[in-house]
Amino acid sequence: MGNSAARVAGQGSAIEVDFALIGHQESWRAAADVLAVLRGPELTPLPDDEIKDIFPWIPPRAVCHVEVGSIAGSRAGASGGVKARGLYIDSFIPPDHLGAAYMHENIARVRGAAAYAIKAGAKIVSLGGFSSILIEGNFDQLPERQDTVFTTGNSLTVGFIVQGVRKMCALEGRDIRRSTLLIVGATGDVGSGCARCLGPLVKRVLLSARNPDRLRRLAAELEADGVQVEIATGLEQFSAEADVVICAASLASPSLWLGRIEPDAIVCDAGYPKNLSPNAQMRGAKIFFGGLGQVTGGMTFVPDFHGILNRHPFPDVAHGCLLEGMALALERRFEPFSQGRGFITQERVEEIETVAARHGIYLAPLYNADGPVEQGLACQTACSGG
Amino acid sequence: MEPVLGAGCSTTIECTSLSPSAMIWQDVLAQAMTGELIAAMNYTSLSEICNDPEEVADALEHAEGEHGHAAAFAAEGRKIGVDVPNNVGAKHWKRLREAFLRCIAERDFIGCLIVQEIMLESFAVASYARVGRVAPGSLGTTFASIATEEEGHIEHAMEILRTERARDTQSFDDKVHRLHFDVMTTLAEMLARECVHGHCEVCHGSCVKPSLFEVSLSAAELRGASLQQYLKSLDMLGLPGEVTLAWVTQLPV
Repeated sequence: MGNSAARVAGQGSAIEVDFALIGHQESWRAAADVLAVLRGPELTPLPDDEIKDIFPWIPPRAVCHVEVGSIAGSRAGASGGVKARGLYIDSFIPPDHLGAAYMHENIARVRGAAAYAIKAGAKIVSLGGFSSILIEGNFDQLPERQDTVFTTGNSLTVGFIVQGVRKMCALEGRDIRRSTLLIVGATGDVGSGCARCLGPLVKRVLLSARNPDRLRRLAAELEADGVQVEIATGLEQFSAEADVVICAASLASPSLWLGRIEPDAIVCDAGYPKNLSPNAQMRGAKIFFGGLGQVTGGMTFVPDFHGILNRHPFPDVAHGCLLEGMALALERRFEPFSQGRGFITQERVEEIETVAARHGIYLAPLYNADGPVEQGLACQTACSGG
Repeated sequence: MEPVLGAGCSTTIECTSLSPSAMIWQDVLAQAMTGELIAAMNYTSLSEICNDPEEVADALEHAEGEHGHAAAFAAEGRKIGVDVPNNVGAKHWKRLREAFLRCIAERDFIGCLIVQEIMLESFAVASYARVGRVAPGSLGTTFASIATEEEGHIEHAMEILRTERARDTQSFDDKVHRLHFDVMTTLAEMLARECVHGHCEVCHGSCVKPSLFEVSLSAAELRGASLQQYLKSLDMLGLPGEVTLAWVTQLPV
């Protein structure tokens, strides 16, 4: 009954908290799995209707301890290698409350999770998934903190999106320099960061977002660097079809794409939650989930949440935003690396990529809702993954 | 068991002319009143194991306060035309009282505070506050103001308990864990959507839970709010949140 609880209790107050990861569950299935682990194998899982009754009442709190290993220590021959220890803190946003109607309630939950991280003494906190979207332009809404710094983690997310796009182009034999890149959600932190990193590499950039003023400002910035840019608040307004697409804002329906992208376009789903999937209407599109990285130095959870908190077809994969906090913790660089909106530059992305790579955190194998999209190596990794 | 409070407090009232929700409020009040009387009995028992005269006085003052709350609930019943029964011997309440008495038998002052102030009061504060939001007129005001008073109790105890935890964290947490399964299991059964183990022996007819929606309440909401308050109280004591979360998820539904 209380074995796992007791085991964690023993660690509760003793462990130094290098980092905290603030996240939430994307689906009721995921929420049910989390509660099932907490209940333990001796008890039957809670019925779905009970989960929906109980879950929204849970105050933000740690769910498990996380330990991440670096390859840096082992290369240097240090005993046991460099490790960083932290907490995964769930804000317990109900999976069906991710919409705009619940914005204030969700910000309050993220604030609660942030307060929990501060109280736990976390040195650096990554805001995962929807948490960073909620807070990225509102850092002043985070609680008062003393020795805790916060990062949205968006710089490493951008890094992995850009790496993924380039890798997918290479896998598909496309010359990225001849591509027309469409970014949906272009003025957000992630979207604008991708535009700055990839704009100089492609033939033309199509920027789509809801706010025309922000679009114009971003376009002017890119044009000053010699990037050919077109902007629109609706996809139907663009004069050309895109063959590479980054969706940095989740769309309600993939049908919005129809007619506005090339049939065999490369599509990076960088939104949250990831809801694009190959279907009959987009059969030719090469869709992959972007912004994900893999820890090669090992990642452990206590209690064991492997495959539950990181629901990916490959081992030790996590969102770039969370990995940024872990990489900085391994580097012992407790600084608010990514803050605010619109400050992600190519230089900053390269800097965090270098830090991550030093500790063995790399782009994850590419996959989508149907499974791995890379043949050969990807399948081997998936088959051997724990 | 005979009602502890009731005789002389109210007269039996003809229910045929009552508002449709009066019978629901009657059951809600009956549960609240029984809880207050259990609390009064617990504080009285607590006074018997206190060594410090100030602590004795404090416990007796609390007992008196809880009696006052019970009387206030009885009065609210009369205002809406219902007699508010109570049954401190009802199966769930009896088990809760017995859990408290085990701490008394061990002269475990800290255990008593944990049961009464952290577990039972969390339940009272959260559920009274929810009822206070939706109950009409003075009924709502009474529930809300008693919720606020009970919250004061928790804050008072918190200081003592935090000091105790700082003295020996592991022993303290082990004790909370032990009492959690003893007391919170019973509370969770009381707060379950349906009384699967039969009648609670407090509701005057069939179980009130399925009818709560008629007064803009639900058993799920009362349970959720109570467990939330309980987790927050444990957080304030400093217990690790990942541990207490596991405890709560292991409770019966």
